Amino acid sequence: MTDALCSGHGTQVMALVSAIVAREANLLDDRDWQNWLGMYTEDCEYWVPTWVDEDTLASDPRSQLSHIYYCGKAGLEDRVMRITGGRSAASEPRRRTSHQLSNHQIIEADDASIELRCAFCCHSYDPHTTRTDVFFGHVHYLIVNRNGEWLIGRKKIVLLNDTLPAAVDIYSL
Amino acid sequence: MRQFDVDACVEDRPGDGVFRVNAAIYTEPHILALEHEHIFEKTWSLLGHECQLPEPRSHLSTMIGRQPVLVTRDEHGKLHAFLNACRHKGALLTRGESGRRRNLVCPYHGWTYSLDGRNAGIKDRKTGAYPDAFDADSHDLIPLARLETYKGLVFGALSSDVPALDEFLGESRVFLDLALEQSAQGMEFIPGRIAFRYRGNWKLQLENGTDFYHLTSTHAGFMDIMAKRRSGTDGNQDARQFDWQKRLSQAGGTFQFKYGHAAVWLDQAEVEKRPIYPAIDEIAQRVGPARADWMLKVRGLSLFPNMQIADGASLTLRVFRPLAVDLTEVRYYCLAPVGEAPELRAWRLRQFEDFFNVSGLATPDDTVIYEDCQRGFQTGPGWLQGMARGMAVMRTGGNEASEELGFSPEASVHGSFNLQNETTLHAAYREWARLMAAGEQGRPAYD
Repeated sequence: MTDALCSGHGTQVMALVSAIVAREANLLDDRDWQNWLGMYTEDCEYWVPTWVDEDTLASDPRSQLSHIYYCGKAGLEDRVMRITGGRSAASEPRRRTSHQLSNHQIIEADDASIELRCAFCCHSYDPHTTRTDVFFGHVHYLIVNRNGEWLIGRKKIVLLNDTLPAAVDIYSL
Repeated sequence: MRQFDVDACVEDRPGDGVFRVNAAIYTEPHILALEHEHIFEKTWSLLGHECQLPEPRSHLSTMIGRQPVLVTRDEHGKLHAFLNACRHKGALLTRGESGRRRNLVCPYHGWTYSLDGRNAGIKDRKTGAYPDAFDADSHDLIPLARLETYKGLVFGALSSDVPALDEFLGESRVFLDLALEQSAQGMEFIPGRIAFRYRGNWKLQLENGTDFYHLTSTHAGFMDIMAKRRSGTDGNQDARQFDWQKRLSQAGGTFQFKYGHAAVWLDQAEVEKRPIYPAIDEIAQRVGPARADWMLKVRGLSLFPNMQIADGASLTLRVFRPLAVDLTEVRYYCLAPVGEAPELRAWRLRQFEDFFNVSGLATPDDTVIYEDCQRGFQTGPGWLQGMARGMAVMRTGGNEASEELGFSPEASVHGSFNLQNETTLHAAYREWARLMAAGEQGRPAYD
């Protein structure tokens, strides 16, 4: 960890990014899709890599399968359309989710961007089947400064339990 | 165990215009036990693709029905397949799904096998005071009764009473070739594991794989997104996904094959959106213009009992197997031409993830409805009404489409998309009934 991040400035940076990622998690849990989309840059990268084998996570979305890979917010907008459109059985009734984020660690930070890693766990309850799915892993965020506003420029979700249930979408990750 | 009566499960009276199955086949645990015994353990199953065993001394752990199977490539490059159980106490011989190793060493008591299955060492044998009868036994791994490959696909059977693989695949090989000959260098699985489970019977996936009828209702949300993307600026354009509305006005058809296999096809409105399209001239020179044209069509192939190829939004191979009467595990593989250009590979991946992933925009709408079917079956609905569409225009033998490709199906249907016929399931359930009846009556599965 650099000296800067141990200083008072470092504490401020941690407080800033912790609040941002907590807000993102809460917007998902609150199903506040428009404000959730508003947290992302237009050219954001949203990536949930697959596992290539037991120990190896996919490292290149152009040559390996991803669970989800979007290069741009438009892919996330598709998701919101699907979730809110009322024409997808997998999306109804809406899951009740609770995201827990912890172990926040700043990897790199400067005035333009902050790279953060944290652990996540999402409990996702389906009122239709009355079953609860649990998804857990690590999230790597790149938070970028766009004209004074801090936005999510990249989110990489390392999903550890990858034998999936019958449906998975962005609100459970 | 309750008495099994195949006539109470499948009613096959084509002369009366009747083909239907009873919902009990999806819910009764004793029927699943018989399916393992009379179907999965009596016929060919896909074990994997040779690309999963790329070099000597590699191994792949897989399943036939409920039985763990180990496929190996020995130091000379030869393929073998065994029941994945140590002869000593029955433990699995590997803990990873695939890898490379010099020998197979059981993690329990350290018995060692060479990759061709021969026992290469019983730990501390000399001090073991083994009786003569033990020494007289073979301690080698038990090989599968049959192992054969078809254009990279590795198939195995637990019973020796199966037809040769070429005969088993039969006329459906034309549809296999349309998927497996898209590159002169062969095909491969793109790295990345897609596995999921749904709380429903395995045959729900069997049925859905050749079902066009569900598209406009189950995937209405997907089609809405495709309509939004039509502008060329909205939505995930990287997938270069098809305009499904255009597909609904196309012509297509289905074929039934021997041994339960079936295929479905539809003319392709937007051939330029196929990731193989930039290579189509090379393909046409190699396989001929008719087959190249068919590679661009929407196609689905169901190989009974549990392997399917779908080539509609890029190309997938899927395998599904029952874990319980109401629990199924599905694996999806992204099948792709070896040597594909990087930009085409990336496009293929985006198209695949968009449609096929269970974290994508289409498949989860299928799988949650399989679960709803499973719950609906609890009402004891008896005979279901889901295999009648298209029967009135079904004909024995082939049609102009099969003649173009030069094969002879058992039965065929040709018509507009809106026909959305369900007769492919007749092939599957006729074979299901045949194998179940043969097993119950103690007859061989194949003549």
